[in-house]
Order: sequence, then C-alpha cells, then structure tokens
Amino acid sequence: MIKTAELTKVFRTDEVETTALNKVSLQVDSGEFVAIMGPSGCGKSTLLNILGLLDNPSKGKYYFLEHEVSDYSEKQRARLRKQNIGFVFQNFNLIDELSVFENVELPLIYLGVNSTDRKSRVEEVLEKVKISHRKKHFPLQLSGGQQQRVAVARALVAKPHLILADEPTGNLDSSHGEEIMKMLEELNGTGTTIVMVTHSLRDAEYAQRIVRLFDGQVVTENIKAPV
Amino acid sequence: MIGNYFKTALRNILKHKSYSLINIIGLSIGIACFVLIGLYIADEMSYDRYHEKSDRIYRVVNVYDFDGVGENSASAPFPVAFTLKNEYPGLIKNVVRIFDFQVSRSLVEYKDKSFNEKNLFFADSTFFDIFDYKFVKGDPETALQEANSVVITETAARKYFGDEEPMGKVLRYDDRVNLKVTGLIRDVPLQSHFQFSLVASMSTVRQITRGQLPRTWVWNPCWTYVLLKEGVVPEEIEKDLPNYVNKFFYDAEKENISLYLQPLEDIHLKSKLDYEIEPNNDIGNLYILAVIAFFLLVIAAINFMNLATATSTGRSKEIGIKKVVGAYRKQIIRQFLGESILMSFFAMIVALFLIELALPAFNDFTGKEISLSLLVHPVYMGALLLITLLTGFLSGVYPAFYLSSFKPVQVLKGKVSKGAKSGKSRKVLVVMQFAISIALIISTFIAYDQISYIRNADLGFKNDDIIIVPINRTNIAEGFKEFKNELQNNPDIYSVTAMDDILGKAHNTHEFRPEGYPEDKWNFYPALVVHYDFLKTFDIKVIAGRDYSELHKTDPMKGLLINEAMVRHLGWECPEKALGKKLITIRGDERVIGVTENFNVTSLHQPAGPFALNMKEEDWSIHWFTNFMVVRHIPGKEKEVLAYLEKKWKEREGERPFEYSFLEDELSQLYEGEEKLGSLSLIFAVLIIFIASLGLFGLASFMAEQRTKEIGIRKVLGAQTLSIIKLMSFDFMKLVLIATLISWPLSYIFMDNWLENFAYRTQINLPAFVLAALIALTIAMSITSVKAYFASQTDPVDILKYE
Repeated sequence: MIKTAELTKVFRTDEVETTALNKVSLQVDSGEFVAIMGPSGCGKSTLLNILGLLDNPSKGKYYFLEHEVSDYSEKQRARLRKQNIGFVFQNFNLIDELSVFENVELPLIYLGVNSTDRKSRVEEVLEKVKISHRKKHFPLQLSGGQQQRVAVARALVAKPHLILADEPTGNLDSSHGEEIMKMLEELNGTGTTIVMVTHSLRDAEYAQRIVRLFDGQVVTENIKAPV
Repeated sequence: MIGNYFKTALRNILKHKSYSLINIIGLSIGIACFVLIGLYIADEMSYDRYHEKSDRIYRVVNVYDFDGVGENSASAPFPVAFTLKNEYPGLIKNVVRIFDFQVSRSLVEYKDKSFNEKNLFFADSTFFDIFDYKFVKGDPETALQEANSVVITETAARKYFGDEEPMGKVLRYDDRVNLKVTGLIRDVPLQSHFQFSLVASMSTVRQITRGQLPRTWVWNPCWTYVLLKEGVVPEEIEKDLPNYVNKFFYDAEKENISLYLQPLEDIHLKSKLDYEIEPNNDIGNLYILAVIAFFLLVIAAINFMNLATATSTGRSKEIGIKKVVGAYRKQIIRQFLGESILMSFFAMIVALFLIELALPAFNDFTGKEISLSLLVHPVYMGALLLITLLTGFLSGVYPAFYLSSFKPVQVLKGKVSKGAKSGKSRKVLVVMQFAISIALIISTFIAYDQISYIRNADLGFKNDDIIIVPINRTNIAEGFKEFKNELQNNPDIYSVTAMDDILGKAHNTHEFRPEGYPEDKWNFYPALVVHYDFLKTFDIKVIAGRDYSELHKTDPMKGLLINEAMVRHLGWECPEKALGKKLITIRGDERVIGVTENFNVTSLHQPAGPFALNMKEEDWSIHWFTNFMVVRHIPGKEKEVLAYLEKKWKEREGERPFEYSFLEDELSQLYEGEEKLGSLSLIFAVLIIFIASLGLFGLASFMAEQRTKEIGIRKVLGAQTLSIIKLMSFDFMKLVLIATLISWPLSYIFMDNWLENFAYRTQINLPAFVLAALIALTIAMSITSVKAYFASQTDPVDILKYE
C-alpha cells in the first residue's frame, strides 16, 4: 500500500536549513498496523504528512497504491487523499461551527455523495463509535474522548483504505485513550491499514510493527515492540 | 454542498457579531449610496428620451461671432425653421418653433383668477408631431392649428379650472387675446429640458404681432427644433448650412454667423448656450458623483477584505480540516466567495431600507421624483442584483484566495502566522481607504471655498439690498417714470430703476456698427436696456464721462454707456478717448457718454467681457424692454419696502399677483449646480469617512485582541497605559500619514482641474489640506487609542493565564 524510497524533506527558512527526513525508506502493506515512534522533532509528523499526501517530499519517491505521488499537485493529492485516507489528530481538529453530524458528513460532501446516502452512512458510523446520541451537539459541548470519537468517525466515514493517526490519545486520559485504541484495533481487524505516530509505548503495543525514527532516519523496524 | 456553505457562513456571521455588523453596516451604506447615485444618474441621463423620435430631434443653434464677442444662441430667428424645411425637404421631416416673447412671466386670467404664468409658450402646430406628450383629451394633430388655442397640462388645468371640465374653456392672455383650451395633456415629465404648463398656437402670436410673424433674420427668439427623416444624419444638413446662411441671412452679418444641429438628448447634460429655456446640468457633475459612488463601494468592500483576512486565523483551522478531508482549493474559494456574497445580500436588504428612509430627503434636495418602486423594473432590479453580486465578489475575492492558500499541514500544526502574511496588503488597503477619504474631504473643502468665493466675489456691482420685481407689460411698466418718482418719495428706498434682463444673470445682444467700421459691418454686443439711475442703483462706477441724466434730453436716444472691456475690445486706447465715439444703430447714431468699470454680466464661469448699457424712449420699446423693476432699499428696511411695494402694486395692477425676488438669490441660482454638488459630496464624504472609520475600528479591535498577550507581558514588565496606547496607535497613525501624503497631490490636481471651470477662482490653500489630514488623524487616533486603552486596562494575570 505504501512504499517510500529515500524520502527526504528539507525545510528552508531564510537562513536555516533543517533536514526533517533523511532518506527514509519504508513499506507498509495493506492491512498492517504500524506505529511510528521517536523523540520530539525526529520527523514523525513530517513523515505522516507526506504519507497522508498533505505535503510533498523534497527528494525521493513515494508510491501510494501503486501511484508515484512525490510530485503530485495539490489538486491531485487532494483527489487521491479524499478517497483513500482518513485522519485522526491529537487535538481532534473538529470544526467548531459544525455539529457532530455535520463534521462527520464533511468528507462525504467533498466526495460528492448525495444527501440521503450521506445521512445513512453518517448515522452508521456514528453508531459504530457510539456517539449518535450526541449528533446534534457542537464539538465544544463534548468531552475530549467524545470529540476524538467524532474525529475517528469522520476518518472512517468515507471508508478509506488507510487511516493516519497522529498521537490520537495524546490529549486524552488513559481510559478514554484506551477506548480509542481499541477502536483502531477493531478497525484494523476489519482490514483497514493504520499508520500511527505516538509517544506512548502502551499505544504502540496495539501495532504489529514499530518504526523508530531518530533525526529523520529510520533506526529500527521491529515486528513487535518490546514491552 | 451549498447547504453546508450556507450553514457555515451563517454561523460565522453570527459568531463574529461585531465584525459582521461592521461589514453589513459599511456595505449597506455603500450599496445604498451607490444605488441612490445610480438612480440619480440614470434619471439625469434619461432626459428627453421619452419622446419616441428623440434620437432624430435636433435643436438649431446659432453662433454669432464678432471678433470674439457675440453669442452661442439656443434660439434662432423666426424664419429659420420653415426655410430650413423648404431647403432640405429630403432630409427634414418636420420643424417646430417655440417662443415666449422673451418674458419670464405672462399674465393669464380665468374669470376672477389671475396668475403670473411662468411656463407658457407658443409653438407651431407641428409641436405634437415632433414631441410626444400624453393627451388625455383633444387631438394632438389639430390642437394647435387654430389661432387662440391652447393645450394645458393637468396640473395647470386644476390650477385654473379646479374640478371643472377644461376643454373649451377660455383663458385671457396678457389681457390681449383669448386662448381656448383644445387639449389636455398629462404633466410634462420632469426629465425634460424644459417644462411648460400651457402651450398656445403660434398663429396666436400672429394676431398679437399685427397679422404676421416677425420676418427679421436678426432677432432670434425662437427655440427651433428639426425632426430628421429616418436614416438621416445631421452632418448631411450641417455640411450645407454655410450655404443656407449665405442665402438667407443679411449681408452685414452672415460672415459672422454659423449654425449647427444639437441633439435633443444632449441638451440637458451637455448644453451651455446663451438663452437656454432652462438652466441645464453638467455631465461633469455626474462623472464626479459616479466616482464618489464607486469609492463608497470600494471603501466598504475594503472593510470586508481587511476584516476577513485579519480574522482569518479563526478560520484557518476550518480551512485546514476541510482540505485534509478532501476539499479542493476552488471549493474553499467558492465557499468564501459565497460567504461574502451572502453578506453583501444582507447588506443589500438593509440598503433598501436605508434608501427608502433617505429618498424623501434626497428627492427634496435634488428636485427629483425617484421612487424605490423603480427597482421593480427588470433592468434596475438586474442592476441592483449585479451590483450586490459584484460587491460581494469584489470584497470576497482577495480573502478567498488568501484563505484558501493556507497549507493544511501548517494550519493544523497551529503554525499560521496570525494574519501576518496578509498584514502588508491590509495596510495598503487601509492607506487606500484613508487616501480616498482625505482626498474627498479636501475636495469638498475647496469646492465650498470656491462657492463662498463666488458668493462674495466683487461682481463689479452691488447685489445686496436689491429687490427685483417683474413688471413686463404691466401698467407700471407703461408709466414707469411716474411710478418710479412716486416710489422714490419713500425714505426707505434708496433708488429705483428698470432693465430688460436681470443684471448678472442674463442679457441680450444689440446690433451696433462702431465708428470707423465698414458700412456693412454690423456687430452684436452684449447689452442691457436700462432706465435712469441704473448705475446709482447698482453702485457701478463711472471712470470717464458721465451717467445718463434726465437733464440731457437726448440721452435716451443718443447716449450710450460702455464698460472698460468694450473700450479695449474696440481698440479705443483709453476710456477718455472713447467718449463721444459713435456707435451706429439701425435707428440712428448713438454716442458714448460714459465709460464704467467692468462688471460681470454672466456667471463667474466666464470673465467680464465687453458690455453696453442702452436707454430707450419710444413707447414701443418701453413696452418691450421694461421687464424688471429694480428697487434698492436702505439696509434693514427690506420688510417695510416690500409691504410698501405690494401696496403700490395693488393700486396700479389690481388683482394681478405681486411677485418679487432678491437679486442675491437670483444670482446664486447660477451656481446651484455647484452648490448641490458641493452639499452632496459633503454628505458622501462624511459617509465615506464613517465607513472607513468603521473598518478601522474593526481592525483596531482585532489588533488589540491579537496583542493581548504582548500587552500583558509589557504590563508585567512595568509598561504604563499611555505607552501601550502609543504603541498601538502609532502603527495606524503611520498609515494615515502615508494616506495623507498620497491624497494631497491627487486632490490638488483634481481640484485645480475643477476650478478651471471658473474664470474667477479661489486660491487652493494649505488649510484645507491640513484640516482634512487632521480630521482623519483625529478620527483614527481616537478610535485606536480608545481600543488600546481598554486593551491596556485588562489585568495582565488574566491575559497570561490564557496561554
């Protein structure tokens, strides 16, 4: 599903040049659950953004579903992204002006799904993350755990092949965090590929493989993380 | 998708209530003014177009040029109309003459009612063939065929006959002839270059002038219109007009005369001839208004742009998320454009209320009858929708492109610099707003300066304490000498005289052959026919020779007064040398008995030119030329003198209504156009400043919000309120100063150009510029410092706790 070859990302400001990713080669197969770990600033999020087609690498190749996408335009990436990738963020990133239902509905709108289909699919996914009783509420009226469940619902609603999670439990207490991780695990069980960036070893436990980054380079790739 | 846009837009508008309010108020004022000005301009442009054949109707203009002196006359001699038709039968379909005996009022009576009718004209029977007026009763083809017939408007019919049937009723004109009503028409549309209440048949004039119409080619009192055949262009006739002039006009003058055809549709906005039926507007005024309207809208749109981009940080997360879940950039652009257009539609609805509120005052002020129901008309409705859409688009396009350019990666990381990117363009926009505002204030100041300059300008004659009474064809005119002597017994009256036109406002030209000119060289010079004491009444100084005097019995027939400019024009070296020179008229020789200082016989748009004052003695000329009595009273005795005049009038004229005016008012009418434009631009300048201030208020609030943390830290470090106010308002002051620097040269160039319209113009001076800048600075300063003050009053602990 995902294959990168010597992926490099360099950020330039006026004077400073920072290499966030340095020749990262990585493969994630369909159906895998991979955790990416590493200290702050090691390039985890940069990698996730590139994998999620939110950003282009400076050098190297990136094959997503057999497409070489490293020099796709924003429009091309958006097209590929909206059909195939769901995102879950540490800080939930829900739109405050939209209700729970409307937030979850958003990806379907941009996919051009008609409103009756949208309604049933949103209902279905809200049911799945057990938040349908709150569908008319606005994000700020929900607890953190509930917000993240909405975010997961939004990531799922378009039935993507890949879910990218950026520290999904970072802003949650442990019981809510566990709830979310269980949800992701369940999802992976039904065949969805998951790539998750995390600081937490406990969360990484849920993954089948851990990729460790340090200073923009892959240092180890374990099948299962040591406890 | 649209539903989603709409929802988000609405919730955003509600979420940022104060910014939305600023936007909607600004936009609605902008749209309301734009629509009002647009309706005004549309109304002005529609003049005379209600005539079905308006594009084929032309007025014959006579240009008389005698070495730079003469006239551009809107009217022509009696024989011109029908000789033209005979000469060019293949080109001209029809002609009509309109005539008013060159008097501003005529006495019209019905039974015991009598009126000084201002809007009575005589016209050929072809009048209704060329012009279209709506007949309620009567037949347009025959209504003006018979002598003693008159067609009357509905309002005039009510005035004379009340609820009685007007058809067949007989009016008495000038106590000389009867006029039978043969047609009733709807009132003349306001969008006409001349208004009339009554139009009588030209054959009636024939009766008055003893059987035949004047056949002279010199006297040119008829406004003459030609209707061209379809497909004929005026040039086809104009190219042959020199031949026509050569064939018909007198040898002595034909070299100095030329004719041309002026399109009917151009008269109201582009014609500034001598002897216009009514004063016209100037298309330049419309351009100025159009520019102001455009600026108003632009400034309101800038508010929107500034506030939208400034507050964009609040929206950046939404944009980022939408992009992450699959929105294309163009979808985001569409969403934001949709929002600004929605906002603009709200503003349009508010604007409609504002227009409805403002219309009565606006109509009152402009003398128009514009109504909001006009907007139901598909063209206007379309234009309104288009303007709303365009305003929305204009305001939204920059924010939309700016906001949609956010990179989701950065936004979601919270990396979007807080509106910093758009900061520069926002500054440019604020500078633009203030530059326009300041320039408009300066221009308004200078326009007012010029208007007051004109009002107080030395015209070369006295214009206050002078009452004008129209007396043409009254008993008073016929026995003017005795009446004048009677009035002069009143100690409140300083002096009394009479003239044929109002000095400073209008005058005729008279035919002279100056001494030394060839036998066949007759020239036309601007002149007034006056009575004794003219110079005394108007305080016009004699610089050589003497005034008319009753002691010199030959003065009226043989004596002439000229001004200094005339001396120079005729090349007579100095005033003293002009004395005794001959000016030959067709009725005998006249000699210069006195030379006066120059005085302004027309508006100050033109310089004071050569001028002559003439007196007449024969009964017929007293009858023709004693049109206005001039009474100069002792200062402060105005009321007493008016009461006295009315009493004396009643003794002589019975029930004929007594009318009067003050010379000052008559003269200020010459600048009515400029004064109206001045007041309008003052109002709009205030509104523009208001809208710009609203925007600045929004921006300042936003900046204050943005810098709360900085303010908190500064306060912790010991900053005083004053230094915080300074810190925060300084940025804005800089912008206003830059705006000032831009606006100064622009408004200077513009107003210098505008003042070129006047022969007598005020100096453009510094105070207007400084004052305008100070106004803008003060407004900006107070807004920003108030905002800064409140920002600095919050407890730093509260501010810093947020982080």
